[in-house]
This record gives sequence, C-alpha cells and structure tokens, in this order.
Amino acid sequence: MAEETLLTDDCVRQLINVGEVDILIGLPTHNNSRTIQTVIRAIQTGILKCFPRERAAIFNVDGGSQDGTPELVTSSSIDDVWRASKVFALRTLHAISTTYGRAPEPCTALRTILAAADLLQAKTCVVISPDSTAIEPDWVQRLVRPVYDDKFDLVCPIYRRHKFEGALMQNLLYPMTRSIYGSRVREPYASEFALSGRLAADFLANDVWNQEWGKMGIELALTITALAGKYRVCQSYLGIKAQSGRAANDLVAVMRRTAGALFGSLDGNYAFWSGISGSEPVPTLGTQPEALVKLVRVNRKRLREMFATGVAHLEPVLRSIVSPETLTALQRIATLGINEFDYPAEVWSKTVYEFAAAYHKSVINRDHIIQALVPLYRGRSLTFVLENRDDSGEKVEKREESLCGEFERLKPYLLGIWPDRK
Amino acid sequence: MVLKRETSWYKDATIYQVHVRSFSDANGDGIGDFPGLAQKLSYVQALGVNAIWLMPFFPSPLRDDGYDISDYRAVHPSYGTLDDFKRFLSIAHERGIRVIIEMVLNHTSDQHPWFQESRSSQNNPKRDWYVWSDTDSKYRGTRIIFLDTEMSNWAWDPISKSYYWHRFFSHQPDLNYDNPAVREEMWNVMKFWLELGIDGFRLDAVPYLIEREGTSCENLPETHAIIRDLRKRVDEQFPGVMLLAEANQWPADLRPYFGEGDEFHMAFHFPLMPRMFMGLRLEDRKPITEILQQTPQIPGSCQWCLFLRNHDELTLEMVTDVERDYMYDIYARDKGMRLNLGIRRRLAPLLDNDRRRIELMNGMLMSLPGTPILYYGDEIGMGDNIYLGDRNGVRTPMQWSGGWNGGFSTADPESLYSPPILNPVYGYQAVNVSSQERTPHSLLSWMKHIIEVRRSSTVFGSGSIEFLYPANHRILAYVRQFGKETVLVVNNLSSAAQAVELDLRRYKGNILIEMFGRNVFPRIGDAPYLLTMGPYQFFWFRLRRI
Amino acid sequence: MREIVVTELMQALQQMGRDFAHYLPRLIVMLIIALVGWIIAYVLKVVVRSALRLTKFSKLSENAGAAQLLHRADLPSSTELVSRFVFWVAWVGFMLAGVSVLGIAGLEESVSRFFLFLPRLFVALVILFFGFLAASFFSRAALLAAVNANFRSSRLLSISIRVIISMFALSMVFEVLGVAEQTMLIAFGIAFGAIMLSLAIAFGIGGKDLARQFLEKKLAGKKEEKEDELSPL
Repeated sequence: MAEETLLTDDCVRQLINVGEVDILIGLPTHNNSRTIQTVIRAIQTGILKCFPRERAAIFNVDGGSQDGTPELVTSSSIDDVWRASKVFALRTLHAISTTYGRAPEPCTALRTILAAADLLQAKTCVVISPDSTAIEPDWVQRLVRPVYDDKFDLVCPIYRRHKFEGALMQNLLYPMTRSIYGSRVREPYASEFALSGRLAADFLANDVWNQEWGKMGIELALTITALAGKYRVCQSYLGIKAQSGRAANDLVAVMRRTAGALFGSLDGNYAFWSGISGSEPVPTLGTQPEALVKLVRVNRKRLREMFATGVAHLEPVLRSIVSPETLTALQRIATLGINEFDYPAEVWSKTVYEFAAAYHKSVINRDHIIQALVPLYRGRSLTFVLENRDDSGEKVEKREESLCGEFERLKPYLLGIWPDRK
Repeated sequence: MVLKRETSWYKDATIYQVHVRSFSDANGDGIGDFPGLAQKLSYVQALGVNAIWLMPFFPSPLRDDGYDISDYRAVHPSYGTLDDFKRFLSIAHERGIRVIIEMVLNHTSDQHPWFQESRSSQNNPKRDWYVWSDTDSKYRGTRIIFLDTEMSNWAWDPISKSYYWHRFFSHQPDLNYDNPAVREEMWNVMKFWLELGIDGFRLDAVPYLIEREGTSCENLPETHAIIRDLRKRVDEQFPGVMLLAEANQWPADLRPYFGEGDEFHMAFHFPLMPRMFMGLRLEDRKPITEILQQTPQIPGSCQWCLFLRNHDELTLEMVTDVERDYMYDIYARDKGMRLNLGIRRRLAPLLDNDRRRIELMNGMLMSLPGTPILYYGDEIGMGDNIYLGDRNGVRTPMQWSGGWNGGFSTADPESLYSPPILNPVYGYQAVNVSSQERTPHSLLSWMKHIIEVRRSSTVFGSGSIEFLYPANHRILAYVRQFGKETVLVVNNLSSAAQAVELDLRRYKGNILIEMFGRNVFPRIGDAPYLLTMGPYQFFWFRLRRI
Repeated sequence: MREIVVTELMQALQQMGRDFAHYLPRLIVMLIIALVGWIIAYVLKVVVRSALRLTKFSKLSENAGAAQLLHRADLPSSTELVSRFVFWVAWVGFMLAGVSVLGIAGLEESVSRFFLFLPRLFVALVILFFGFLAASFFSRAALLAAVNANFRSSRLLSISIRVIISMFALSMVFEVLGVAEQTMLIAFGIAFGAIMLSLAIAFGIGGKDLARQFLEKKLAGKKEEKEDELSPL
C-alpha cells in the first residue's frame, strides 16, 4: 500500500496522536519561515471561528527546509499546555510536521497529505499554499463548507485577480481544460483547494502518481481526475492569490507543470474526453469579488521580440509539430509590428491543439514540444495584453468566453488529428 | 460517639448527597423523612461513603425546595421532628458517617417571622435585618441569577411600600449582614446545630452576603470578614467541624474563600464539572487540563469538592458562550432539558446510560484532586423526569426495589411528593438498589468497589497532582503523589481504542500495579511507556519500586 | 594425335566431371546453407522485430528524435531498420559460410576477413546511428533553451553543437573501422580547431549582447524590474 512507504514512523506516531479528524489542512512547505506563521494563524482563526467543534489538524509536509519552517509549524499547536496569550479553543488543534525529502516535490507532498487524510479518515482535506500571505480566516470555511455541508468532492478556488494576472490560466489552461473535459473550472491548477475524504482516498489509490503527467502537475491531475471520475466539483471565491516570485521567472518550468500535465492527461482519458462537446458550468459559491486594480507594466516589446525570434529560430522544430498552415500563420504574425500585433484566438487554439496532438504522438521529445510552445505563448499573451489593455472586467470576461468558445468549436479538429481515432 | 475529632477528615472523605424528602418514607405519608433515612444508613455505609450531606430540612414554604427557610431551629414537620433528627444523627455517627447539613445564610423565606416583622413597618426593630430601599435603582451592577424567572434583584413590598433586595427568587429576601444583630443571630443558629453534634455545614450562596454600590455585590471583602469571623468561632468552640462553601465562581475568584486557611475548609469546584462532560464528548482532555491549570493552589488544610451531578441543574455559568452552546447541543438538544444557564438532567441520561462513560466519569471524579460528592441515585444510574418543573426532575424518589413505589414509600402512588420514574429504561423496575445488590457486576457493585479502592490510598484525597501531557490529546493522564505513595491515572476520553506513549522517565525502575485487579504491568524504562486503552477505559496504577 | 587430344579432352572432361561431381555436393550444401541461412535470418528478423516492439524501442528512439531523422532520410522506422539490418547481416554471413564450403582458395580468406570485420561494422553503424541521434537531440535542446532564454545566437549555438557531436561520432566511426586513422585524426583535429575558433568568435559576438544585457540590468536594474513579466498562473 501507498501509506507504508509514504509516511515515516515518526509521522505515523504523530498521526496516531492526532487521531481521527474531520478537517485536515495540508501545508506543503519549503523554506517558508517568512510567511508560514501568518498563514497558520489565519487557518487557526478560520477553524476556531467557523468549525470550533470539528476535529481539525494542520499537517505540514516539508521538502527539506533549511530555515526552520517545520519547527515554526509544530510550535503553533493549540493544545492544553496553557498560556494566557493563546486564543480560546474548544479542543486541541494539532499542528504537526513531517519531512519527505531534501527538495520540494509537489507530487510527493500532496500524496503524503492525502495519505494522512485517508489514515485519519478526514471528511475534508484542504491544501493551502504557505506563501498565501493574503489569506483570510474566511478562506478555510469557503473551502471546507462545500465539502463538509454540501457534499462536494472537490472545491477549486477562484481568486481575486488583476485582469492580466494568470495569463497562462486564462489563455491555455482554463479554455483547454474546459473544452476537453467539459467543465468550466476557472482554476484547474490551484494552490488552494479542498477535497472530500472519498476523493482523497480514491485519488490516492489512482495510478496517476506513477504516470509521467501526474508527476509533472499533480494539482492539475487532481482536477482532471475529479472531472473524469464524475465527482462533484464546485468552485469557491477566495481572495487574492499569492504570486510566488519564482513562478513568473521560470516560464518553461511552469509550462511543464501545467501544459505538460494537461497534454499528458489526454493520453489515457481519450475515451472520456473524446465524447464531450461543449461545456457545463460548475456550481460556484460565494460572491464574485471585483477585479484587482493595480499597475502592471508589461514589456510588450520584449514579448513580441521573443515570439518573433522563437518562430524564426524554431522553424525546423515547429515544422514537425504544427501543420504547415499554422506555421505560415505564425510566421505572418511574427512579421507584425507591436501596434498591429494580433495572434487571433482561432490560430492560438489550433496551435495548442496541434501541440497537444504532437505531444501525444511524441513526434519529438515531449519536453522539447513543451519548450517550443513557450515563445508562442508569449506571443499570445502579448495579444491578450493588447486586447484587454483599456477594458474592464466585463469585457475581459467576454473575450475570455469567446476564446473558450473557439477552443470548444475547434475540438473536432483536435479529434481529427488525434491518432487514436478508430 | 465513635467518630474521633479528627480535624482534616474531609480531605479523604467521600460524601453522599441526600434529600431527606426523596430518600425513604418511614411513616407512609408519601414524603421521605428522618426515620426513613436512619433506616437506610446501612445502605449508605455499605456504599463506602463516610459523610452524608443533607439538603435543607427546615420548616419552609418549600417554594425553592427548602432553600427558603422559615425557621432555622426546627425540622420541617413532613420530615419528622428534631428528636428524629437527633436519632438519625447518632445512628449515622455509630456507623462512621459524618453529617453535613445545609445552612442558608444569605436569605430567608418571606414567610420567616423575621421578615414578617421587618416588613410590618418602616420602624420595626427588625426592619434593619433585611435590605430595604425606596428605589429599585441601587446596586445596578449586580447580575440576576435566575434569569428565567426574575426581572430584577429588587422586589416591591406592598405592605411597607418599599423595595427589598433578593439575589435569588423574590420570595427569598436577603438578610442584611451589615447589621451586627443579624450576624450574631445567625451564629446562634449555627451553634444550635453544632451543639447537636453535626460535623459540618454547607453554606449556601456565600458570595452575596454584603451589598455595596458600584460593585457586582459578589465576593466583597466585607463578606470575607464575616466568614473569617464564623470560622474563628467554629475552630475555637467546635474543632473538627468543616465549612463547605457554595460559591459558583471561577477558581481564581473562589480562591479568596479559602483565605490563609482561615475561611472555608472546602469549596465546590464548579467550572471543572461541565468541562469534564465537555472533554468526554469532545474526546479531548484540553478543557479539563486547562481549567485545572487555571486553578490556583489552596492552603494545605483546604480541599476542593468535586461532583458530577447534584440537586441543581448542571450549571453552565462558568463556561464561555462557545462552550455553553456546545454543551446545550450535545447534552440538552431538547429545550425542556435546559434551565437558567444549565442542564437539568441526571448523570446516567446525560451519558446516554452508557456504562463505560459513567464509569470513566466516576473514575475521574474519584481520582482528581478533591473530595468527591455522589448525588443520591447516581450510584445505581437513576434517570430523570424533565417534565417535572424547575429542578424537580432530578429530585424524584430513590429507587430501592422493583415493588410498590420502588420501595420508597408505602403510601398511595398518587400521594407521593413526586411521581417516581416509571419508564422502561430508568424506571424503578429496571433500575433499583435491591436488584443491583444481587449482581456483582451492577453499577452499584462497581461503585462500591471504586469507592473502596479510592479509600485504600490517601493519595487521592491529599496528594499533589502533576499532569502528563502525552501527545495523544484523548488521553488524560496524571500522577498523584502523597508521601511515599505515587499513583498514575490514565483515562481514555475517546470512544475508540487508543495507543498512548507516556513519558515516565522520572519514575524509571518502578513497576506498575493496576489498583482494581492488582495485576502487575511492565517496569518503566527509558523508552516512552506504551499503553493501549479500550474505549473510555481508565487505569489507576500504583507505582512500586521492587 | 587426335586420340591424344580426345583422350586429354575426355580426361579433362572426366576431370571436370569428377571435379563437378566432387563440387556438386558442396554446391548443394552451399545452397542448402544459403537457404537455411535465409530462413534463420528471417526468423531472427522477426524475433528482433517483435523484441524491439515489446521493448518499445521505436518510442525510445522517437523520443531521441530518430524517427524524424529517419523520416527525413526516407527510411523505414527504427525497429524495421534494425531488424532488416540483423536479417541482412545474418544472411550474408550464412552465404559467405556457404561459399567457404566450396573451398575456393583465396575466397576463404576474404570470407574470414569479412567475419572479422563484421562486428566492427556493426559497432560503427551503431555509433553512427546514436551519434546522429545525439547530435539532433542536443542541438534541438540547446536551440529551445537558448530561444527561451532570449539568447540571440541560438541558431548558431544549435548548429555548432550538432556539428561537434556529428564530427565526434564520425571520427569514432572511422576509428572503429580503422580507415585512414592518421588522416582522419589530422582532419578531425583541423576541423575541431576551426569549429572551436568559430565558436569562440560566435560566443564573442553573442557574448557582446549578453554582456550588454548584463550591464543594462546592473546599471538600470530598477527600470527592468518594474516591467514585470505577466504572471502565468
């Protein structure tokens, strides 16, 4: 069984002491000492406020922190060693920690959390990112309630964002997940989410952990597994998403974790997704917050330049991935100046689908395919910025909707170039 | 008199709380009486307890179950005569049972001759014996205790056309302790009973003796001065008599009532009791350890009084709002079970008649620091009747047998002071003394056994307590120590089996002897001591170095 | 005279007949060997092909980029290629073994030389194959990495890597085959030196940009930071 090798003896001992819980909050960390206490305090406040009677525990899985993050976690237990400064709590709220390796691995981290949730028979398992400094105590209830009270299996977040934030999410992950799997989950790749004990146990027993795409982007794999397995999925409005500095800088790595996992997921699930056309809305709880207004300056010149050089230099690579028509279109777009630059939704969705098919066929090394997509995504994100530059939330939303429509409309095209077709 | 005049007998005592009216009826009038109680003392003795606490038995209009006294120097005619009381007292003492009686200092009944005189005119000599006012706006900062029935602490007296002060029901006017004559008279009342030979008083509602403007009128220094004076007189004239305070307060506020060992001998630990119930249902020791950590040290001659249930509602004054809501939801879903800020139910129904939970709760009661009080009927697992008003649901007749009126009285069932419990689960045909005396595994037999085990060691009454904090929060573990004797107590608050590792390195080299079966457990070494415990199981281990 | 001629002729004929009769079984044996060899080689080919299919060899080589390479060279799939290669080597081997049965002087030596040469040829081919694969893979990896790092001379870098690896593979092939070792060594040395020089120049030119970017960042770092990249997630 998975648990046997996953959980260390010390971890099991700690879990014995925690015992059966209703809510398990997982915190995958790696050198988060700067923010972890803020996050834990918010979680504890959230639990004490909304779930004072439920048995809850905070479970930190650490990827070899050097800055004492695990110690900060364990010292924040609310237990019976009475101190006047501590907040009032009806029952013990354990905060325990285990270390799974020397370097962070999101896949192992999540697997450890789910194994613990399974072992403790948690009714709800929540994962919260340790760098979400914008977290409010209310997040806990927004994530937990749908599972705890309304019997949903997976709660995906919807963050409060600036209109340009999450460009990859808005241009690729959301539209493609939506058209492929037929559910309008805004944030299929989330750093905060909640799942039911049932889904946790089933997902833990799933083979996805051993598959390439699962290892690459386990968060996305979770969403897709839930959608493909017909689990009850819903969304819940949270606050501002934490932007860890690393994510933006290493676009290739991000692309691997997200687009790589999404493309990879198509291999095994053909029977499921090939039969889906159009998409269904997902129940969404809470009220939609206003979009964030802040100054985001984008180096448009650089985006255009990287797109153009990418198309030019990668021509031989692209030739083996995309169709000649698409390549021609890309080359034409690459000649456009910054002011008339336009990478239209149709070409973009076609590009993405062709990449997905090439990925499935492994026409060249799969990682190279993902890398080749990066400059093209840069081009698309430039169009995204240009299009929405002067518009407010509603218009941006409308455009997003039409992009999704394009992905859905072109899904038969993907099926047409898909080799598994019988 | 066979009882020695020991001065600290109360520390190792086990007290049995009885209402004369409810225990046994000898004259067949449907109401319990002293001759009946005297007959049943053999049962009380066999139970293993060594003190009995009687609820008020004085003449009274009985509008507050006898706490509204109309004559302090007599016995209510329904319960017998003063001679019956004297006879009961001497039999009790012969059987080694001390007697604690109730003394309501704070107020009298409005039927008491003192109050009748006091209200008769504004210049009556006894006018000053009560607290009178022309307005009802004095002492505004004072809370109202019986929220369900009283709107104000002042009541209008139409006869003398002024307001009188009452902290409880409006038919219970408060005595004016600023008046030296009142203080002297109340001491004379106490002396009257002490001279008969009683062993202690439970003093009712002590925090409220004195009123002062701008205060909560509770726990005032003047009140403490009165208590110190009483204690001094008792110690000088009647050594060995114990004073027990009834003050529903937080431990830190209660602490002054012990003074420097010169006020009360004992006081009830009110906040602990609801937290024991809470800890059990939360399956978490936190509420219990927290309140005990907040409990201050008391002088060596003093002692806490612990109880699970008594004649009142399970009071939830000494808990936070969150905790109170929780307790209501868990233990009193039915609104009829609630009264004032509390739950009017007996032990067995509160614990769903779960024998394991009843045993665990009694095990904790008997092993935590303090003198345990058992409420009559709880030793056989009696039920309650929430359809009787006020707190009468937990004051139904004692169930002696499966026969006529449960063996309580030979009167017509209709004439009993209260209907006995009749339902098939808790009724006297299912739950009664005589059937339980016949089976060695009945709750009664078990209670006798645990009382006996507790009495086998002075560590429970007089020992220190040190909590172990095993990481498993469902396990409440503590070490009691007195002299050379050390006892380890481990309680599993969970409904499921638990594994627990105890850090017992300090006691390395000792072997554990389980006190109920006297079986030996492995010697303590350097490694954490691993115990596996069944649902709601508890262990008492005597530590021995052999 | 005529008789002598006739006799000689007859003798010669008889000799030829004898010789032929002498050779005939060998010829038959040779043919049989060739036939059996063909069968064995065919079986071998089938076995190798299914073994490769089982081990997903073509997926492996596809990932390494061989498929594209072969496709471009109008060659069948790598599995097919390897199994065909095995077939031919085996069959030719059997044929030659059969020929040696004929006992033709000189031929035997050639045959044995062929057999000695065979493993080398095989190794050389394998080296060549993987060499080209590696060249293609690493040059593409470098190209992608360079493009995504916004490195200007990415194409040059990619080509350089391809040439170096190819040349290295080629030199190894010649080494293994033992062809003009000295000449190859010198030729390779010259070529390698030339490439290194060109690389140095290329890096110099490219490095100029890099250095400029680095300095820009250092000197006007704040301006650069403000223009943050779009957050992808």
